[in-house]
Amino acid sequence: MSFVQAILDGLLIGGVYAVISIGLTLVYGVMGIVNFAQAEFLTIGMFVAWFAWAFLGLDPVLAAPLSFAVAFAIGWVVQGQLIARVLSAPSVAQIFLTVGILIVIENGSLLLFGSQFRSVTTSYQTESLSLGPLFISVPYLIAFAMSLACGIALWWFMRASWFGRAMRATAQNPAAARLMGIDTALMYKMAFALGVGLTAFGGAVILPYVTVFPGVGGQYVVLMFTVVVLGGLGSVAGAVVGGLAVGVIQSLSSLFFPIQLQNLVLFVVFILVLAVRPQGLVGAIR
Amino acid sequence: MSRKNSVGTMRMNRRAMLSGTAALLAAPYVIPAARAEAPAVNVGVIMPLSGPNAQFGINSRNGLELAADEINAAGGIAELGGARINLVVADATSTPTTAGNVAQRLITQADITAVLGAFASSLTLAISEVTERRDIPLLTMSFADQITGRGYKNIFQVVAKASVIGKAQFDYTAAIARGAGSKIDKIAIMYEDTAYGTAQANGLRAGAKAANVEIVMDDAYPLGITDTTPLVNKLRGSGAQAVFPVSYLNDSLLIIRTMRQQKLTIPAIGGAAGYVIPDFEKALGEFSENVLSIDTSNYDLAPELTERFRKRFGYFMVHEALEHAVCLEVLVQAIKKAKSAKAEEVASALRGARFTGGWINGMTGGAVQFDASGLNVLSVPLMVQWRGKDIVTVWPKEIAKSAAVWRT
Repeated sequence: MSFVQAILDGLLIGGVYAVISIGLTLVYGVMGIVNFAQAEFLTIGMFVAWFAWAFLGLDPVLAAPLSFAVAFAIGWVVQGQLIARVLSAPSVAQIFLTVGILIVIENGSLLLFGSQFRSVTTSYQTESLSLGPLFISVPYLIAFAMSLACGIALWWFMRASWFGRAMRATAQNPAAARLMGIDTALMYKMAFALGVGLTAFGGAVILPYVTVFPGVGGQYVVLMFTVVVLGGLGSVAGAVVGGLAVGVIQSLSSLFFPIQLQNLVLFVVFILVLAVRPQGLVGAIR
Repeated sequence: MSRKNSVGTMRMNRRAMLSGTAALLAAPYVIPAARAEAPAVNVGVIMPLSGPNAQFGINSRNGLELAADEINAAGGIAELGGARINLVVADATSTPTTAGNVAQRLITQADITAVLGAFASSLTLAISEVTERRDIPLLTMSFADQITGRGYKNIFQVVAKASVIGKAQFDYTAAIARGAGSKIDKIAIMYEDTAYGTAQANGLRAGAKAANVEIVMDDAYPLGITDTTPLVNKLRGSGAQAVFPVSYLNDSLLIIRTMRQQKLTIPAIGGAAGYVIPDFEKALGEFSENVLSIDTSNYDLAPELTERFRKRFGYFMVHEALEHAVCLEVLVQAIKKAKSAKAEEVASALRGARFTGGWINGMTGGAVQFDASGLNVLSVPLMVQWRGKDIVTVWPKEIAKSAAVWRT
């Protein structure tokens, strides 16, 4: 029974990991850039949701679209003004730029918001649903449901809308896309803004059970990279599979090993998977 | 005199007069104040002002500011010509290596008489290595056993040590349960894995072993833990009748919330730190009611002193604020005894000495007595319980302000 409970908890958490990480893989898939500052947008999303809760009384889950919008706007500007300049530069320059953005955002939030830990109090934080002998934590369930909704919306967007198809075309072959009349510069802005917006959305939905402070992104950054690489860098489906896998591995490992070894077990599995299948579990779409 | 000369002389005379007057008027502002004022006594304050323990650092700093302002308002230290206390505050952050560097920088930048800090035992240990090397006294309320266990001469701890506190955490609980007619046979211990949690867990284990109580779960967890579900799942499956978590703030909230989510109603007896600050009640609301915790001091033992804190800062005087005020009181008395602000002389005045009066009345026993290792032998842990927005001392019976409520 504790085995089933662990898998259940792992899936719930994993769904959120997936939503947080999809942005990272999307940005790489479309633009070929690894955005080291991705986790900072998680922090931004969490702060926006926290302030919406503190000043507008908005539940973080309802504030998630607001977090998405704010991060989308910031991402649009960042891509247009900064990232666009290094798209054809050596990858070293791209790395330096995104790491620089990471540092600016983290310290900027430290300056603006101070170092205290802030948490929200919601009515459902201490509730859980009972499924026979199993407990389903309500905040986790809601976060998972929102992540699922977000994931489905993204999938529909990529498949069915013109923008989505144009983005996929740009990802496959930028030159051909341009020949087809697609404004690739606009697509890059869309992809980046969408990517960071999704991560911020994920941040808002986990606020009921995570405390926010300027360095919170840093707690998730390694996890995010593990998720996308495990699933296959560049593949959105990979990020979903990777996210769920990471959640379940972490949860199962705590059944057999002390909780402090959770990440160790994760990375051992990660290394083994990559040794056998370097392109990740799902592999790139392209 | 030629006309040129006379004009020149007049001009110079007038110039001389003007500049002379200007110099005279400016003198008090330009020449460093040669007022008969004694140099301020610099006291280094190193606290975690960022990171997971920021709230505790801020509370401690508030306690120190209150105590220092009162001393300065009363005219400073008479024995040193009315010297004022100057608190030199630095952020220890939450990593021990940075804390050590911060201490190093603080000591070299100013003429520090003593250092007070750093709430978290892991940070205090790092800072103590620096202060011991430089022969500067470090006064602290951190209580991991290691702090006074290394034979250092310049460390002074005003509260009991972790293993004693941990044992009391268990023993007092057993006594309270007995008083309510229940018997505890199986307990669970959960602790954050830095010096504080580990040392206190040792004390809990010793207490349980001495009472022949079975420990069905004994787990450490990393300080920055974001998900306590596996821990609480394990707790639920262990069959423990009471759980003893030793946590800072974030983890304490996660643990209690997750326990409530899983409908676990066994008594939780916290290990101080996160369980005894206003943020605990603010975040948990009704779920904080009747949560017990061990503590090293409590504001209701000396309300005439501690209400001043509540009046100035708007919340009850948390134990770290009170104990740091006690540290400053002890330091000032040592300075008065030594009639000097020199670090080595103040350290000698502190070693093995007994202090009473002022803020020290807020400590158990009403006095502070340091032994050879720098430990205050008069400090006795006490058990507190949440009642609404306040915490009330409930054990030992001699100093309790209210009877303990034991809910199973």
